[in-house]
Amino acid sequence: MAIVIERHRHIIDYTLSSLLRRKGKNGALLLVYTMIVFILASVLFFTHALKREAALVLKDAPEIIVQHTLTGRYQTIPVAWGDRIGKINGVIAVRPRLWGYHYDTLLLANYTLMVPAENPPEPGSIDLGSGISRTHGANSGDMIAFVGHDGVPRMFTIRNILDSESQLLTSDLILLSEKDYRDFSGIAPDQATDLTLRVRNPREYATIAEKITRMYPDTRPIMRSEIQRTYDAVFGWRSGLMIVIFSAAALAFVIFAWDKATGLSAEERKEIGILKAIGWETSDILLMKFWEGTAISLTAFLLGIIFAYAHVFFTSSALFAPVLKGWSTLYPTFRLTPFIEFGQVATLFFLTGVPYTITTIVPSWRAATIDPDSVMR
Amino acid sequence: MAPRCSTLFLGSTAGLALTLGGIFLHASGEVRASRPVFARKAALARQLELTDLCLFTEASYTRHPSMTDPSTPFQDAPMSLEHFPSGGLVGPPPHLVSTHGHRD
Amino acid sequence: MISARDISKVFNAGRPNEFTALHGLSLDVQMHETTILKGPSGSGKTTLLGLIGCMARPSTGRIFLNEREITSLPERFLTEIRRSTFGFIFQQFNLIKGISALENVMFPAYPTGEKFSTLRKRALETLEMFDLGKRAEARIEWLSGGEAQRVAIARALINKPMIIIADEPTAHLDTKLSHEFMGIMSDLKARGTTIILASHDPIVYDSDLADRVVEMRDGHVVDGGTGP
Repeated sequence: MAIVIERHRHIIDYTLSSLLRRKGKNGALLLVYTMIVFILASVLFFTHALKREAALVLKDAPEIIVQHTLTGRYQTIPVAWGDRIGKINGVIAVRPRLWGYHYDTLLLANYTLMVPAENPPEPGSIDLGSGISRTHGANSGDMIAFVGHDGVPRMFTIRNILDSESQLLTSDLILLSEKDYRDFSGIAPDQATDLTLRVRNPREYATIAEKITRMYPDTRPIMRSEIQRTYDAVFGWRSGLMIVIFSAAALAFVIFAWDKATGLSAEERKEIGILKAIGWETSDILLMKFWEGTAISLTAFLLGIIFAYAHVFFTSSALFAPVLKGWSTLYPTFRLTPFIEFGQVATLFFLTGVPYTITTIVPSWRAATIDPDSVMR
Repeated sequence: MAPRCSTLFLGSTAGLALTLGGIFLHASGEVRASRPVFARKAALARQLELTDLCLFTEASYTRHPSMTDPSTPFQDAPMSLEHFPSGGLVGPPPHLVSTHGHRD
Repeated sequence: MISARDISKVFNAGRPNEFTALHGLSLDVQMHETTILKGPSGSGKTTLLGLIGCMARPSTGRIFLNEREITSLPERFLTEIRRSTFGFIFQQFNLIKGISALENVMFPAYPTGEKFSTLRKRALETLEMFDLGKRAEARIEWLSGGEAQRVAIARALINKPMIIIADEPTAHLDTKLSHEFMGIMSDLKARGTTIILASHDPIVYDSDLADRVVEMRDGHVVDGGTGP
C-alpha cells in the first residue's frame, strides 16, 4: 500500500516538475481556468440563493390577483367588479389593492407606492423602505416631499423605516394611507390597481380563474403558483446574459481541449519515449498525464468555488454589482443566505474537471504505447 | 532543502478541500440561523400582500415581473429592442410564455 | 549469460519502406564481461542493443536472459526486468531538460514506489561518486558536456543494474571526455558489472576494457560472435 502511494507521489513529483518548467503558460492556464470556474460558480450560487429566497419569502403571496387589461396593457380595475367576483363559489374574500410606481425626477429613481392591507399609516404619514431612507438620508420623524400626479409636491412625515433586513423585499416601498394614495396618484375613487382574492380550496384556483375570465373577459387572473414560478425563470438559462456567460465558458474549455487534443508536440513525445526507455511503463505514463490534467483542474476548481462562495456570500456579489444595478438608481445589497447544493457543486466539478482531464490523457495514448527503443534511434 | 513538490501539492489540495467542506458547514449553519429571518420576511410579504422581490427598480417589468403584461417589455412596438440592462437578466415569467393551461 | 538465437528485426513490415535491421543473428554475451559491438552505422548495433535490453521484441527468434526466455513476456514484466536489470546510456544522453540533475537520476526508480528519502539519498551518493554532488540541483541545460555525461551514467546506475548498455557513448565527446568515460566503465567493470557497448569509435573498441569485440555489418555478425 505504501508502495502504491509512493508511486503516485513520485509521479506527481514528476508531473509538477514538468508543469513548473513552463511556469508562465501553466500559470496562465490555471488562472483562466480558475476564473471560469469562479464565474460559473458565482452565477450558480447567486441564482440558486435568490430563487430559494423568493420561494421562502413569497410562499404566502396572494392566492389570486385579478388584473384588468385594456389595449393589451394592464389598467386600473373597477372596484365594483370585486362584488361579482366575490360571489363566485369558493372565493372567501376580495380586496382591492392600491399600488403603483412613482418616478422621482430629482434622484432619477423609481419607487413603489402601496396601501397596506393592515395597519396603514395615518393620512399625512408614510413608512419608507430602507433604500429610500438611505438615498434621501431620511429617518423616522423626518419630513419628506414627493411630487404628485398633478405636479404638486406633498409633504409626509415618516412614521417608520422598514427594516433593512427585508431590503430584498421592501427597499423601494413607500407605504401610505388610501386617502393619501388616491390623492397623490390621481386614481379614480371607483378604481383600484388590482384585486386580491382569498380562496377556500387551493385546488380550485384554476376553476375560479376560468370563471373570472368568463365573467370579465378583459381580466387576467394571476395565481400564486405563477407568482412563485416567476422567480424560477428569473436568471433562467434562457436569459440573454446567462447564455453569453455559459457560451463564453464553453468556448474557453473548447480552446483548452483543442490545445491538448491536437496531439503532443515532438518534444513531449520525445520525453515520453525517454521515460519509457528508462523504465516507465505505459500505465505510468498515462498516470502521469492524468495527474497533469487533474493537478490543474482540481486546483482551479477548488480555488474557483471557494472564491465564488466568498464573492457571493461575503461581498454580496460585488463583481456582479454593475450588471445587477443596470440603470437603477435604487438597488438593494444582495446579501443572500448561502443556500448551496452539493449536487450543483458536484455537477460543476464533473463538467469542468472531467473533460479537461480526458483531453489531457487521450491524445497521449498513442505516444504512451510506443516502443521505448524509438528513443535510441 | 525545499519540501517535496508532491507534498506541497497534496497538502494544499487537502487544505482547499477542507476549506470546501468548511464552506458547506458554514452554509448549512447560516441557513439554519436565518430561518427566523425568513419567517419574518414571509410574514411581512403576507401582510403587505407583496408579489415580487425588489431586485431591479429600473422598469415596471423588472420590478414586478410576476405582475407584468406581455406588452410592457415591448414598449411601443413589437420589434423594439430591450433597453434596460436588467431586462437581459430577467426572463419573462413562465405564465406569460405559456397559455393558461394546467396549473399548480 | 544473455543469449540471442536467430533473431531478426523487421521494421515497417508489409509496407513499401520495409527494412530488415537484423538477419537471423545469434549471439552470446557473458556476464561480468565487457562486450563491444563494433561496426558502421546501419549495421544493426542499436537495434540489437534495444532487443537485448528488453526495449523491443524481435520479429523472429528468441532471447534468453540467464536461461529465462524474455521474448514472449508481456510488457509489464519486460519493463520490470528492464528497469531492474539494465541501465541505459544513450548516445544523446536523453536527459530531461528543465529539470535538475538529481531528479533526472531518480526518474528510473519512480515507478517502483521506493521510499523517497532512500531513493534521494542513493541518487545523491551516485552523483557524488562522479563529483557532481554540488551540481545536484542544477538544471540539465546548465551542465557542461562532461557533467551531463556523468549524470547520464549516474541515472543508468540508480537501480543498481547488473548490466550496463551504452549506445555510441563517445559519439559527442572529445578525446579527453571519451577517455574519462572509459575510465568510469572500467571502474564499473571492476565491480562486476556486465557492460555491453556499441561503438564505431576506436577509443572504445580498441581499449583493453573489451573482453570481446563483436563485429557487425548489415545486420549480421561478421566476426567474434559465438554460437551456443
